Amino acid sequence: MAKARFILIAAAWCSLLAPVAHAQQALRWGADPSGGAPYVFTDPANPDRYIGYEKEMVDALAAAMGRRAEFVPSDWETLVSALQRKSFDIIVNGLEPTGDRAQQILFSKPYYIFQLQLTVRADDNRITSLEDCKNRVVATLGNTAASRLLEQKHIPFRSYQDPPGAYQDLQLKRIDAVLMDVPAEAFYARSNPKLKPAGAPFTKGQYVIGLRKGDDALKAEVDQAIDKIIRDGTLETILKKWGLWNDAQVEFETPIRTGAQAPSNVEYTTTNATFNWSEALWRLTRAAGVTVFIALGSMVIAVLLGLPLAVGQWKGPTWLRGFCTIYVEFFRGTPVLVQLLFLYFGLPVIGIAMPGWLTALVGLGLNYAAYESQVYRAALEAIPNGQWEAAYSLGMSPLLAFRRIILPQAFRIALPPMTNDFVSLFKDTSVAFAISVWELATAYRELANASGQFLLLGVAVSAFYLLMSLPMAHLARLLERRLSNRAAEQLVEVEAAEVGA
Amino acid sequence: MIRVSGLRKRFGGREILKGISFEVPPQTVLGVIGASGSGKSTLLRCLNGLETINDGTIECGKVRLEAKISPSDYRRRVKDLRLEVGTVFQHFHLFPHLSVVGNIIEAPVHVLRTPKKTAETEALELLESVGLSGAAQRFPGSLSGGEQQRVAIARALAMHPALLLLDEPTSALDPRRINSLRTLLRTFVDRGHTMIIISHSMGFLNGVADNILFMDGGLVVEHGPTGQVLNSPSDPRTKDFLEQAD
Repeated sequence: MAKARFILIAAAWCSLLAPVAHAQQALRWGADPSGGAPYVFTDPANPDRYIGYEKEMVDALAAAMGRRAEFVPSDWETLVSALQRKSFDIIVNGLEPTGDRAQQILFSKPYYIFQLQLTVRADDNRITSLEDCKNRVVATLGNTAASRLLEQKHIPFRSYQDPPGAYQDLQLKRIDAVLMDVPAEAFYARSNPKLKPAGAPFTKGQYVIGLRKGDDALKAEVDQAIDKIIRDGTLETILKKWGLWNDAQVEFETPIRTGAQAPSNVEYTTTNATFNWSEALWRLTRAAGVTVFIALGSMVIAVLLGLPLAVGQWKGPTWLRGFCTIYVEFFRGTPVLVQLLFLYFGLPVIGIAMPGWLTALVGLGLNYAAYESQVYRAALEAIPNGQWEAAYSLGMSPLLAFRRIILPQAFRIALPPMTNDFVSLFKDTSVAFAISVWELATAYRELANASGQFLLLGVAVSAFYLLMSLPMAHLARLLERRLSNRAAEQLVEVEAAEVGA
Repeated sequence: MIRVSGLRKRFGGREILKGISFEVPPQTVLGVIGASGSGKSTLLRCLNGLETINDGTIECGKVRLEAKISPSDYRRRVKDLRLEVGTVFQHFHLFPHLSVVGNIIEAPVHVLRTPKKTAETEALELLESVGLSGAAQRFPGSLSGGEQQRVAIARALAMHPALLLLDEPTSALDPRRINSLRTLLRTFVDRGHTMIIISHSMGFLNGVADNILFMDGGLVVEHGPTGQVLNSPSDPRTKDFLEQAD
């Protein structure tokens, strides 16, 4: 009782000081506000402001600690490494305590009991529980309790950056179900008439606050503040306001508020990430396959589409030239990442919903077609006009002259820059991570975030990229040499003769 | 064999050919002379359809190209005209990505649809007649200027043109090669070919051309037998040009 009174006095003292004490220590907290409702997210009514139940909770905690809360927007999957880099001091983002995270960071006392909810399309009666998902694709956020549960049950899943993307893809039938923590599900899916919950919420896990190892003093401070906002009902008020107050919270908070022993962590342990190298390498190999597939597919599109673009811009009538120029400038002048996001999230609005891998393949293909067209155009323009005239005077039609005389010569000129583009296309496939395609860069991010093995996995992933791009560069050099042996230098000689004469 | 009448060609507002008329009888060689800018190169480009004519007619073999016909008809006739007229360009414009024999059979195979074997046999015969039998598999870049010219002649003749145009054929040759070119061209004339040769070299034309046409300012100033035009020109402008030429 005396202790409680002391805290109360201290808190009151601090809150009194709060407005004046400028040197008041900041409580820097990190979370991912992108698609982060109802945890912390941008206020739709006021985009300069962040709102959310955890935002309000941290404000209450900071007040209880006599500190000023300072929000550091971050990225969910890299929260732990950002914490270790001291970008902020605590993680408050619906973080679940797990064995592997415990090796990297400290946990506070729990502050919320979450459950998982499976969501399907309203007209889908095939799936009523997780057991029905064995041969379907389930979406969830990467590196969460839900993703680990799916991994453990060997259910195929796709990791998303944030809940809205997952629920949208569910509606677009790109996936069959979404497994998400109840708070996010409640906010994003429950009111959507096109979606419905499959079965009741299940499993129980805790949300805790993450701290750097060694920050024991801060941990004690945070734990005390959590106890305080639970006991004085502040947390209940916040949770009720956000519609998150339920039986699980009553069951969890009652013992604390009645002064009984807090429940031990063991009761709510969530699934642990298991990391083994052979599994990781197998997944990287599969991701490398996807990367190769996307790169080859989009190069085919780029090579085929680039030629009509080049010819259109070069010899076409005015309207066609204008169209080709607009196409080229649009795709060269906007980031490929934005183009992919547009194709993936924007096109479904007009009824075109492509799966992620196809979006990446088409998007990169369209983008690189713009670059290839410029390579071709430069190569075609480099062929002396005399070649056309010689072909015409032998009775060739423009098409025949182009196909038999101009194109083969231009190809030799275009080959080196094309090789260059192809190698860079290989690397650009990594932007597909933004639309949840499981390619190499995504694989690296997710495996490394789950395991903390950033260095070793980074070396492995780089090796994969090199294994793919080096043979290609070598092949292209061989081809170039074969062609140039007999043709290129002779072309130069002929040109030199023309210039000399 | 070829009859040109009232041929006019304008570039923008400038008239380069101001009504050219002449005729070349079969199996003869016409030498075209004139100062730079007299319009002789433009004339040659009109004869093989690389320039669109503004007025007049060109008759060659069975083809009659007129300025005053519909564009589609004009295009069709230009295509036919090009099959009747072969051109050896000043800078040859051989196809560098094809071998010597590839250069020669390209048009017969893809334009005339001659079977490849037949075209190859014929190409080798042509190469032999221009004295390059050993060069069939070589590439243009590895040939000397004179050799390239002979490949260009063989390439043009492989299409069996009624008329062969040669633009400045002596510009890249040393005197010894000029003599052998003269002999070569005369052999082809004896075999039935008809030619128009643009040249600055009066010495060369003297031995190869049957008739000479002198152009000045887009007009035909003098046209007659070689000996007559070169030795006793009737027009003072021809006389003036010839005095400065040699």
